[in-house]
Amino acid sequence: MVTVATATRAGSETPRRRRTPWGLRLAPYLFLLPNMVIFGVFTIYPAFSGVNISLYESPNGRVFRWVGLGNYERILTSDEFWRVARQTITYAFAYVALSLVLATIAAVLVNQQRRGKAFFRASLFVPVLVSPVVVGLVFGWILERQGGLLNNMLGAIGIDPIPWLVDGTWAMISIIGVGVWTQLGFYMLILLAGLQAIDPSLYEAARMDGASGWQQFWGITLPLLKPSALVVLILGTIHGFQAFDFIWTLTGGGPVGATTLIVQYIYENGFISPIRYGTAAAGGVILFLAVFTLTLVNWFLSRGKED
Amino acid sequence: MSTQAAPVRRTWTGLGRKRVRLADALRVVILIALVLVSLIPVVWTVLGSFKTPTELAMRSGSVLPESWALDNYTDALSRFNFVSYITNSVLVTVGATALTLAINSLAAYPLAKYNFRGKNFLFVLTLATIMIPLQVILIPVYQVVADLGLVNSLWGMIIPAAATPTGVFLLRQYMLTIPDELIEAARVDGSGEFRTFLTIVLPLCKPALAVVAIFSVMWRWNDFLWPLVVAQSERVYTLPVALARFNAEETVPFNLILAMSVVSILPVIIAFLFFQRQIATGIANTGIK
Repeated sequence: MVTVATATRAGSETPRRRRTPWGLRLAPYLFLLPNMVIFGVFTIYPAFSGVNISLYESPNGRVFRWVGLGNYERILTSDEFWRVARQTITYAFAYVALSLVLATIAAVLVNQQRRGKAFFRASLFVPVLVSPVVVGLVFGWILERQGGLLNNMLGAIGIDPIPWLVDGTWAMISIIGVGVWTQLGFYMLILLAGLQAIDPSLYEAARMDGASGWQQFWGITLPLLKPSALVVLILGTIHGFQAFDFIWTLTGGGPVGATTLIVQYIYENGFISPIRYGTAAAGGVILFLAVFTLTLVNWFLSRGKED
Repeated sequence: MSTQAAPVRRTWTGLGRKRVRLADALRVVILIALVLVSLIPVVWTVLGSFKTPTELAMRSGSVLPESWALDNYTDALSRFNFVSYITNSVLVTVGATALTLAINSLAAYPLAKYNFRGKNFLFVLTLATIMIPLQVILIPVYQVVADLGLVNSLWGMIIPAAATPTGVFLLRQYMLTIPDELIEAARVDGSGEFRTFLTIVLPLCKPALAVVAIFSVMWRWNDFLWPLVVAQSERVYTLPVALARFNAEETVPFNLILAMSVVSILPVIIAFLFFQRQIATGIANTGIK
């Protein structure tokens, strides 16, 4: 590749200077147009206008009053926001850590399995397919304190009923568990693809050198799985901070706000009375900054370690 | 490793060994446990969808329903407007997927096969929108949709998220593998740019289009937050919006909710069984690249 490039540069400064007909020059822009219009109107413009809206306050989305940084000031000094922020961070952190560990275990085990590999892979992926709304309402039923499936099963082995959705701490544990349940198969597939890309001859060489199964896992599998694990880490962080749908139908953010996360905070401020449009928009900007920063941190941390 | 020596051969045909290794047994046990945790809630939902309210209310009822009659399903469809919600969901899913396929493939083509000013900028801009998910711009997008008069319309649910960055990316990567000679040959034959795209490029992209289509269908069918915001009147509810609202308001008995939940999850699971391979490659490609 390198030699070809230098050769053409030595030969002529501009190898493709033939005049192209204007139809051909216009064509790429026309092809891109529909997609870019929708991007522009529904993603790029709102990204900027959202910042603008966050500088106003509005009780209905029609009449706006300039408040400058007032919304941010009010949000950042309100106990409610910090509680929501703390809960979101707790949820996201636990969700990412558990997902990463469990998905790695599942992927390594499925990958080693010779019989029924396809069955295990497909079964673990099924929860990913279930509508999050349904996930929430079905688990709301399974986790009922009295007569719910889980407490009945636990009762069979002598464990007293657990207030899964009634107690604040347990409710947080419940949404973390259910959140991991919904996406585990997705992360497992990413990690499985990473595992399958590892050259089998590495393991053969390690075996010849007398490395044990554990040594192979720590010495070969984990280091080479790192690129896929980074993808899971980044996607998991984004998913964790944006969790909403299944929580909405599972706990509705309760009991008494114990499982209200940032997206629900945005949604409720924007659409449930009393409407605070600017506050909701400011919440969106804060969420963006948080996720963006964390993605960069994830990325740099993992790069730093490689050197 | 002589292949002729019989004793050597016996050691590496592992299946012949009687001793089951502890690690293998442990692995299978853990995997089966994971499968049970994954599947029991889904199976429990399907079983529950056949149970009567009295069966559901029993503290410790039997696992299997007393009868497998479809009463819950027919009741939900006849007593409530679920036919309309399902129709809305189908329309939004199909319409959005068709639109996504059309505009994403159109956008991917020049990014893969043309040289033009601003190409890199537009490509990076497209990918950068991955960093701006709907949750972050919920309010301003809603404002745009409201200004365009698309609230309470199916178009309001179809259009805004149609220009998916991952779709453009996936299709572009695939189009890069199409030889330039094919396109040049079509040009020499006097084929217009759009016709070349339509008759030469698109048919070659079928595998990538299938991946984008499957993901779009799965995502749109289950989508909730955006439809919740746009579909404020009952007339345009999609199935997830209807399920969430009626479950919260307790206006629809839970046995009917369960039946409609099964209607919402079964098509996706069946589609998955058919398209497993495309889904796996799609996740591997968009995840790793």
